[in-house]
Amino acid sequence: MGKDTIVIGVIGSDCHSVGNKILELFFTSEGFKVVNLGVMVSQQEFIDAAIETNAKAILVSSLYGHGEIDCQGFRDLCLEKGLDPIVLYVGGNLVVGKTPFSVVEEKFKRMGFDRVFTPDIDLKQVAELLRQDIKEKFGSSLNGQENKSQSNQNKQLSQAAQADQNNRQEPEGSRTK
Amino acid sequence: MKTVISIDIGSTWTKGAAFALTGSGFELKEKISVPTTQDNLVVGFHETLARLLHQDPLTPLEQLKGLSEIFFSSSAKGGLKIAAIGLVPDLTLQLARLAAMSAGGKVVKSFSFALTGGDVSELEKLNPDIVLFSGGTDGGNSKYILENAKKLQSSRLSCPVVYAGNRAVAEDVLNIMKSREVVVTENLMPEVGQVNIEPVREKIREIFLKRIVAGRGLAEIVDLFGSQPKPTPLAVFELISVIPEFYQDWSDLAVIDIGGATTDFYSNTESYLETDTVVLKGIREPKVKRTVEGDLGLRVSARSLFETGQSYLEDRLREEGFELKEMEEFVDRISSRLDYLAESQTEKILDQILAEACVYYAVLRHSGGWREVYTPQGRVYVQTGKDLRRVKAVIGSGGFLSGEKSTAVMAIPLKKLRNYGEEKKLLPDCPSFYRDRHYLFSVLGNLVEKYPQEAASLAVASVENLSQKGENHD
Repeated sequence: MGKDTIVIGVIGSDCHSVGNKILELFFTSEGFKVVNLGVMVSQQEFIDAAIETNAKAILVSSLYGHGEIDCQGFRDLCLEKGLDPIVLYVGGNLVVGKTPFSVVEEKFKRMGFDRVFTPDIDLKQVAELLRQDIKEKFGSSLNGQENKSQSNQNKQLSQAAQADQNNRQEPEGSRTK
Repeated sequence: MKTVISIDIGSTWTKGAAFALTGSGFELKEKISVPTTQDNLVVGFHETLARLLHQDPLTPLEQLKGLSEIFFSSSAKGGLKIAAIGLVPDLTLQLARLAAMSAGGKVVKSFSFALTGGDVSELEKLNPDIVLFSGGTDGGNSKYILENAKKLQSSRLSCPVVYAGNRAVAEDVLNIMKSREVVVTENLMPEVGQVNIEPVREKIREIFLKRIVAGRGLAEIVDLFGSQPKPTPLAVFELISVIPEFYQDWSDLAVIDIGGATTDFYSNTESYLETDTVVLKGIREPKVKRTVEGDLGLRVSARSLFETGQSYLEDRLREEGFELKEMEEFVDRISSRLDYLAESQTEKILDQILAEACVYYAVLRHSGGWREVYTPQGRVYVQTGKDLRRVKAVIGSGGFLSGEKSTAVMAIPLKKLRNYGEEKKLLPDCPSFYRDRHYLFSVLGNLVEKYPQEAASLAVASVENLSQKGENHD
């Protein structure tokens, strides 16, 4: 088992494929098992892939400005599909216009995303945070450690997820710019 | 010169053909059909073989055996009943269904996520020949698999289970299902979107031989000839796979076989060509694909066809000036007499419209589609399923289409499908239509394993191009 699986892709009707490929290479080099769904991915596809692969995180990209509409209800759908503890990140040019990032971040966090990133974030930082978040939510540490049985995990997780739902602290580092 | 004999034991007819193997390939010497002897398949098989060898029908099989090289297939009561279990409907479950059909089976029911108590009792009632059990990528989800394994273990099912799910828990599945016959094979989707259905197909074939062939005298034939029969649909599948390997002109082809009970559709063409403007969603379907429709057929399944195909039938009956009632009476007539042959001109037209409906719905379900999406980067097509646009040849096989000299039965429904719903169906762009005029595909399929090139060659040589006669329905 070794590696934690993460699912990445560009949501909605967005065809920006270059950054998506860079993310795949980067997170693979960071020791994750990356399932890359490519461009124009629907919420349902992200979730289907996460279920089949027992993924620990979904990283959603959006560059064309309609991210807000595309991401609406993502966390709710995860809950409906039984992916309660999954880590949800979103990043890119999430809205059109000059909305301050703090407003954008607030908006997506309210939708249930654990972290929100700008397009120029240092990816090393993201990988670090991802390792922390997975450890926090799934109880086992990343890459290399043997996973506990899933049912066990799930019990721990639902508790952990409940506990951290409200009082998550946002490290200063994730808000570049 | 050597004689090679191939016999296909179908649900209604046992078909046999004798081929002469010369330096230049196979030559059809004779083709016959005798009614299948349901209680003991050996009787019909014996009669077919004796007649093809021009021997006294009382000659014992042992003596006939040495006279020629003999291959045979059996359709096993209209196909192997397979229940498919997967995890997510669009991923592992869809692949499980595809694998089952490509192996010559008939999917009687499919189940996603966790099996409920109701699902299990339904499974028990369906009493399938095989349960194909999949779910999870390798190292992926195991929760549902283990849960379902426990439920299968405590069920009253008696059939073998083929496990083709998450490899990481294969041993656990074997442990849980100790008292069951479980065959473990490679995961049919080791990674998201990665299609690996060959190993599953092979396992299903093996089980088909061991378990299903055992009844009705087939075991005797197997013992005597020392060779295994093929499932009929698999024989055709292998023929379709091999033709383009030897004949590049036939690189993109499809075969439709309308029978009394089922309609089979086979395609051999690349399912998706990646370009900047076409994005594929869901799994990338295999190049060679078979789908089988158990509710579409001209006799045994005529009643269900009448229900499934109502909208197409109404449309066509109106065009031809008939009432739906007339069709209903005809369907009643042919459903009660399975060997009924259309007599009057009216009945012939009704039979043809039924066949068209088989084509319509079989192609509808086999082919993929796309929808246009306007993105800030321009117009993009989102494709799901298999792209059949490059298919150049559509070949009709089976009793009805082999005898059908007009392109209409295939061309009219394809034309109508172009206006199907909102989604554009990815149908053959401008295919030529052919017929398997001696109805040889199933018997030739039996020979593919040993004589691939010779079988492909005769298949190509024996089809008749129907589109050249100036008929054009597109």
